[in-house]
Amino acid sequence: MSLPFKPASTPWLLAHELRLSWRGFKAGRKGRGPGAFIAFGVLGAMILVGGVFLGLGVRDVDVPLVPLAVAIADLALAVILTLMLSTTLAGAADALYERNDLDLLFSSPLAPRKVLFARALGMAINAGLWFMVPAVLLLTPSIVLGHWAWSGVFVVLAAAALGASGLGLLLAMALFALIGPRRTRTVAQVLAALIGAAFFLASQFRNLMGEKASESLFARIALDARDGRLTLPPFADWPLRAALGQPVPLLVVVVIGAGIFLVAAQVLGRRFAEAAAATQGAETRKAARGPTRAFAAGAFRATVRKELRLVSRDAALLSQVLLRVLYMLPLAFLLARNAAHMPAWALAGPAAAVTFLAGQVAGSLIWITVSAEDTPDLLAISPTPMSVLRQAKLTAALIPVAALLAIPIAVLAWFAPLAALWTAIGAGLTAWSAGLIGVWRQKPGKRADFRRRRAGSFLAALAELLIAFLIGGATALAVAGWYVWALPPLIVAGAVMMALRRTDEQIAAALRAASV
Amino acid sequence: MKCLGAGLTEALIVRGLNKTFAKPAVSDLDLTVHAGELYALLGPNGAGKTTTLRMVAGLTQPDSGEVSIFGVDARKDPAGAKALLAWAPDEAMIYDKLTPLEYLEFVAGLWNIEPGAAKTKAEELLAALGLTDEARRRCEGFSRGMKQKVALAGALIHDPKLLILDEPLTGLDAAAARLVKDMLQARVDAGGTVILTTHILEVAERMADRIGIIAGGRLLAEGTLDELRGKVGEAGGKTLEDVFLQLTAEAVA
Repeated sequence: MSLPFKPASTPWLLAHELRLSWRGFKAGRKGRGPGAFIAFGVLGAMILVGGVFLGLGVRDVDVPLVPLAVAIADLALAVILTLMLSTTLAGAADALYERNDLDLLFSSPLAPRKVLFARALGMAINAGLWFMVPAVLLLTPSIVLGHWAWSGVFVVLAAAALGASGLGLLLAMALFALIGPRRTRTVAQVLAALIGAAFFLASQFRNLMGEKASESLFARIALDARDGRLTLPPFADWPLRAALGQPVPLLVVVVIGAGIFLVAAQVLGRRFAEAAAATQGAETRKAARGPTRAFAAGAFRATVRKELRLVSRDAALLSQVLLRVLYMLPLAFLLARNAAHMPAWALAGPAAAVTFLAGQVAGSLIWITVSAEDTPDLLAISPTPMSVLRQAKLTAALIPVAALLAIPIAVLAWFAPLAALWTAIGAGLTAWSAGLIGVWRQKPGKRADFRRRRAGSFLAALAELLIAFLIGGATALAVAGWYVWALPPLIVAGAVMMALRRTDEQIAAALRAASV
Repeated sequence: MKCLGAGLTEALIVRGLNKTFAKPAVSDLDLTVHAGELYALLGPNGAGKTTTLRMVAGLTQPDSGEVSIFGVDARKDPAGAKALLAWAPDEAMIYDKLTPLEYLEFVAGLWNIEPGAAKTKAEELLAALGLTDEARRRCEGFSRGMKQKVALAGALIHDPKLLILDEPLTGLDAAAARLVKDMLQARVDAGGTVILTTHILEVAERMADRIGIIAGGRLLAEGTLDELRGKVGEAGGKTLEDVFLQLTAEAVA
């Protein structure tokens, strides 16, 4: 299908970018059946229904410009911005290294500035749509029912997306200049994960510092607002005013967002082209020094070693795991700290969260070690039974999870041995169930494709989430001492697992069908 | 597990092999490769060469037919058959994030080679292929030819009795191609068996003991170059290219 714009114009390039993004999005869901799209549709309908109720409820209500509302708006914008920045930074790093079409574009007569402008605008649209679509569904009823000025929210989101795209590019190029092409990709991926988790970590700062137990940043703000002690810096209310459609704040927000974007796109055009060229062959590393290790004995050990090497060298996977670890560590810390001076029931929540996140980390690792294989033919022609290779891949995925959990559980065991035992059992169960789901519902492919696809089977991900919730809940109840109540969620989790179970023959048939 | 009444002088016996995807890819194919020979399987694009070799290697299930590798029935005892062979396709089966040594460690593990012997063999192979300096550098920065050489080392690490190569010279420069050809010849001279496909007919003409020509999934002719010349009606004088083009043109017609 030809693009409806003048060839080589900026809209034509942008349409090309968006077409590739859309096809990538669809390809990522290929093989999941209509389930994913139905789930998106149902979710959208639910948000829309919520929006209708919201619209009816606030028909004659104006948002008060009180400190609490201002603080909530500022925090929401900050969270959205960090998440957008996380996406655009990873996107900017990928744009430098993914050579699918950059060589073609930069070898054409198009100005590099124009190429970068279209690519950056595509990144902004991709990052913005994740927030814009739910916002449109949620707020359109209110806007139609009289709050027309609230459409300022959409403008603020668009400005935030543009700003995040510009910042992502600037950050990626700064990394490139500072640490060179070889390390930029890895560092950018890790930094994107850190930025994505920034607000959660900031919210837990007071917990970690131990100023007051169970008091997060958000709780502190709510308490201060209730007591009339919340003071905000000047202009802190401008994001809220902009979202409510006040012209001057709205104009300022747009100028800031679009300004960052334009400056980045205009200034970096030529440098981006040079940087992209410099990445060619940049991932070549120096040869390792020192004596070589002895070879592993047998297929199981050799496969475990190979998988651990591949996991440790996969920047995208590490950043994904790091994000989950960043969520897990403060909770684990809280769990261990509370264990020293709190009753058992106070440990239930953090224990459940650690259990849940252990399953999530295991799921990420298992999904890629079991399903992503660059040389399936090599494994298939070897005389090693597939079951041995599968066990080795599962073992390799679970070793980092066990290592991550070892310290918090050891600390917890010191103060509250029984709670530690239940948390270890819960975390082990979620990791084990994630492993089984990863094996039963594997989708073979190459590692590079997995990076692009980002996610696995929709059904598997949903089931993993549900089972982690159920086992997390059971762990919380067991830690609180309500053992009998821990059984029902475990039974439901077991039933879900039984429903997902596939025999070896069924797995082989599914793999054959997928390879045709 | 023996089959087809094979003696140990036959490295590969294929009987009545069939495979159909959207249309027949291999039809009723019979093939025999003797132990200690270099056999070149030639054919135009889409002739069924790769599908045939994938079925021999156990990577694609045939619809019907029998495959015996050194007397072992590949369908009844796949692990036994796989232990005897190695397969190297035109796209190198390697991991970009592993070094050649790490890759060879993994492959040796798959074939359960004793670690000490495997390490020594790996270092010898890398030296023979001119990769000693790259042995501990990740493969991600390697050229296509270097990756092919690493994959070839992987195919040889367990000393297979039957080596199957699909377009082994693709992407190699002249020096590397010569190196690989010399290694294959040395392997055959030492009693090993090699089956290869190639579009470079000069390679088959110079190296192969026997040649099979396949088109439309059927074996059109098989034999030494002289025997093939005889089959097209003119003994001597004709190059393999002439013979190949004439036979495949007749098949298409």
